[in-house]
Amino acid sequence: MVGVTWSVAAPAVGSAFFASLVEVVEAFTIVLAVGTLRGWRAAALGTLGGFAVLTALVVALGPLLDRVPLHLLQLVIGVLLLLFGLGWLRKAILRSAGVIPLHDETAIFAAETAQLAAAGGPRRRSQTWLAGLTAFKAVLLEGLEVVFIVIAVGAGRGLLWPAATGALAACVAVLAVGVAVHRPLARVPENALKFGVGIMLSAFGVFWTGEGLGVPWPGQDLALAVFALLFLTVGLLTAVTLRSGGGERAR
Amino acid sequence: MSLIREVIGELAGMFLADARLSGATLALVALVAVLLLALHLPALLGGALLLFGCLAVLVEATLREARRRRG
Repeated sequence: MVGVTWSVAAPAVGSAFFASLVEVVEAFTIVLAVGTLRGWRAAALGTLGGFAVLTALVVALGPLLDRVPLHLLQLVIGVLLLLFGLGWLRKAILRSAGVIPLHDETAIFAAETAQLAAAGGPRRRSQTWLAGLTAFKAVLLEGLEVVFIVIAVGAGRGLLWPAATGALAACVAVLAVGVAVHRPLARVPENALKFGVGIMLSAFGVFWTGEGLGVPWPGQDLALAVFALLFLTVGLLTAVTLRSGGGERAR
Repeated sequence: MSLIREVIGELAGMFLADARLSGATLALVALVAVLLLALHLPALLGGALLLFGCLAVLVEATLREARRRRG
């Protein structure tokens, strides 16, 4: 973290924390369904298996990135962040405008529980195996996005471990609250978080892509804040336009 | 095998959920790269084109998807 300013470290750690919060809440809903219906052993084993694979990915990919020339790394990660961040932001704007429904953790929990109850063989062992695999898949698939974000926002400036710590803090927070309330975390403002993370990832994407192409951003790291403000303003204006029916008229 | 397919599908979905949004983003980056590296456009102008191009691509993709969903 030598030479890293707080203006770059804070968005990187914040992006990793909030993106992880969203994904971990989604994974937690499925793990909770598994634990409630088929027992906590299967849920815990599946979850630990998923975490092990994700950790191995970060440990394996992290050091490899150090060998890539910095400008090429910034360009590749910047473009991937743009693809990922703009996609998240587009979906968050559509949800915010009521064009697509909000994520409903309670409904997902009910659907997952019904699916688990209906699935599985007649023997208890095969049901437990299936439940463990369901938890494993939930943690692995939701965690892949977290791994990408941790690597993307952390690799460019030696912030891999701070970003990973942000992601881990989100896991601990969701687990602590989840164990306390023992039901899906439906009151987490998931779309607002996705909106914010989409803005930060898109801002990072423009910043890294520009740096990779040799653009000397005025204000250097502070340019990130300006980009984020622009994405926020445009995102909110687009959501307001869609809510007022402007998208219909544009047709 | 089904799990590997799901992982690959998840990875592809992360970056290519909307093919036209992804295509437009990649085309914009390629255009800015050509203008900067081959035609020696002033760097700040290229950076501004990238930033405002991304905002335009985002708005267009969002409005297009809203129109499609509202039928």
